[in-house]
Amino acid sequence: MTHLLLNNISKQFASNTVVQDFNLNVEKGEFVSFLGPSGCGKTTTLRMIAGFEVPTMGTVILDDKDITNQAPNQRNVGMVFQAYALFPNMTVAQNIGFGLKIRRENNGAIKERVAEMLSLIHLEQRGNSYPYQLSGGQQQRVALARALAIHPQVLLLDEPLSALDAKIRVQLRAEIRAIQKKLGITAIYVTHDQEEALSISDRIVVMYEGKIEQVGSPFEIYNFPTTAFVASFVGTLNTTSAEVIDPTTHLLQMDGVQLQAAEGLEDKHKGDKITIAIRPERLNFISQERKTNILDCTVENITFLGSVVRIQVSIGSNRFYMDTFNNPFLELPKIGDKDQVTCSREAVLVLRQ
Amino acid sequence: MKIRGKVWAWFLIILGVLYFFLPLLATFLFSLKAKLGVLSFQAYVNVFNDPKFIKGFSGSLLWATLTIVVGILLFVPTAYWVRLKVPKARSAIEFITLIPFVVPPIVFVFGLVRTYSRPPLLIVDSPALLVAAYTIISMPYMYRAIDIGLRSIDVRTLTEAAQSLGAGWGTILFRIIIPNIRVAILNGAFLSFAIVLGEFILARYLVKPAFAPYMLDLGQNRAFEPAALAVISFALTWACMGIISLVGRGKGQAPVGGGH
Repeated sequence: MTHLLLNNISKQFASNTVVQDFNLNVEKGEFVSFLGPSGCGKTTTLRMIAGFEVPTMGTVILDDKDITNQAPNQRNVGMVFQAYALFPNMTVAQNIGFGLKIRRENNGAIKERVAEMLSLIHLEQRGNSYPYQLSGGQQQRVALARALAIHPQVLLLDEPLSALDAKIRVQLRAEIRAIQKKLGITAIYVTHDQEEALSISDRIVVMYEGKIEQVGSPFEIYNFPTTAFVASFVGTLNTTSAEVIDPTTHLLQMDGVQLQAAEGLEDKHKGDKITIAIRPERLNFISQERKTNILDCTVENITFLGSVVRIQVSIGSNRFYMDTFNNPFLELPKIGDKDQVTCSREAVLVLRQ
Repeated sequence: MKIRGKVWAWFLIILGVLYFFLPLLATFLFSLKAKLGVLSFQAYVNVFNDPKFIKGFSGSLLWATLTIVVGILLFVPTAYWVRLKVPKARSAIEFITLIPFVVPPIVFVFGLVRTYSRPPLLIVDSPALLVAAYTIISMPYMYRAIDIGLRSIDVRTLTEAAQSLGAGWGTILFRIIIPNIRVAILNGAFLSFAIVLGEFILARYLVKPAFAPYMLDLGQNRAFEPAALAVISFALTWACMGIISLVGRGKGQAPVGGGH
C-alpha cells in the first residue's frame, strides 16, 4: 500500500533545475535512502516532502492526501537535521516535548511521552541537561526522539550522521534502523555515504544531477547497477568499454580479450560499443579448470585495506582491481607476476548507456 | 626585550586609565564641594530635590523604555526575516542601519520639524515622534546587537526544526529565536538606554522633558549640580554595562550543535 507518493516532482531555482521528473512510491514502514553526490537534488527532494520547498511541478501525496502546498507546520512530518537543531534554550526533555506542547497535549501525556522517548534513546538520566552539555551523538539521538515524539506519519533524516565521527556514526545508524523497525515508521534518509545507505535501507534511490538513476534494494543496487553512474558511485567497480561480438551468446571483446556476459545484450547488435563493469571481489586468480572468461594479466600493485587485499592487475591495456579477503595464510602474487584471472559470466555487468 | 615590552604595555594602560579617570575623579571631587570648606553630597541632594530633575529624568526613562520596546518589536522580526528569507538584502540593511551615524542629529531634527509641523502630518508635538526619532538614532546599536545575536545561532535550521514540529511564526519567534538571542537584545536595549539618556538635540528641539536638556540648563546658572549630574549619568551608564556583562555570563546562549 502506497504511503508516500512523489508524483512527477520537479524543482527549479531560477533557471537551474535541481530535481527533475522524480517519481517514487514509498510503502508504510519502509526505510528508503536517497543516495547521491552533493548537488544531486536529494536534500531538495526531502525538503519538498517536509514542505520547506514547494515543487515547481508534481505532487506530494501522503496517506492519499495531497500535501504539496501545505505549510511545513501543517504536515505531520518529523525531521532530523545534520546540525541537530536542538533548541539551545531548552532542556533535553523540553526539546522532546516541544512538538507535543505545540499540539496542546496535556502535561501528563507530554511527560509520559518524553519519558518513553528518553528510554528509547537510552538517555533516561539526561532529561534535565541542556543540549550543549551532550556529545554530538547524544544530541542527534535527542533530535531523533524529538522528531518521533509527535507520532509523525513520515520521518525525514537529512544526513543526520555527517557531523559525527566514524565510530559513533556506525553505532548510531544501527540504532536509527532498530528504532525505525521497532516503531514501524516510514523513513526517508538522505546520505552521500554509500555504506550508510547500503547498511540501513530497505530501498535506495540513487540520484544524479536531479534525476533518479536507479531504485532498488541495497542488494540490487550493489550487485546489479544499471547505469555507469550507479556502478561508479556505489562501491568500487572496474568499468571499461567493450564491443559486442555475438549478442545471442553474450560474447564480447574487450581490448582484444574475449569475455562472456550472462545477460544485458538482448537489444544489442554485433559491433555495438558498450560499457561493462566487474566488481573487484568477483575477479579471482584461476584455481580450477574453467572454460569461460580466462583473462591473462600482470600483477601491478598490491594494497592492504584491512580485511581486504586489493590487487591491481593489467588485462590488455585495462587496469582492473581485484579484491580478496585477507587472512594470515593468504598466498599473494608478486608485483610483475604473469597470471590468469577469471570471473563468472554473471559478474560481467552490461551497463545502460 | 620581553620585560621592556611589558613595561611599555603597562605604562600605556596606566596612561589610558589616568586619561579617562582623572577628569571623572576631578568632576566627582568638584561635585562634593557644594558646601564651602567641607566635602558633602549637597549637590546631589539639591539635584534629587529639584522637581525639574524628576521631570527630566522620568521623561528620559519613559522615552528610553518606549524606544527599547519599539526597537525590539521592529528590529527583531526584521533582522530575523532578513537572515531567514532575504540574506542578500543584509548589506543594504546594514547600510541603512548606519545612516544615523552619518546624518548629524541637528540635521535630522530640522528634517523632522519641517516635515511634521505642517499638514497632513502635523505630529511635531506628539511624543510618538520623539520615540520614533530615538528609535532611529538607536538603530545602529539595537539592530546590530540583534543581528550579531542571530549570527550566533543557526536561524534557518532552528526555524525549520520548529516548523517541522508544528510551530507557527509567533511561537518560533517568541519561544525559540528571542530566548536564544536574549543577551544580544539586552545589549541593544542597554545601549539604546544610554543613548537616549544622553541625547540632547532631539529632546530640546522637539520640546520634551529629558535628562540631557535639564543638565545643560542647570549648567547655565549652577556649578556643582551639573558635575553631580555628570557623575550620576556615568554611574547609570556603568550600571547598564554591568548588567549587560552580568546577564551575558548567564546560560542565555548555548552553542547550537557541536558539543564535546
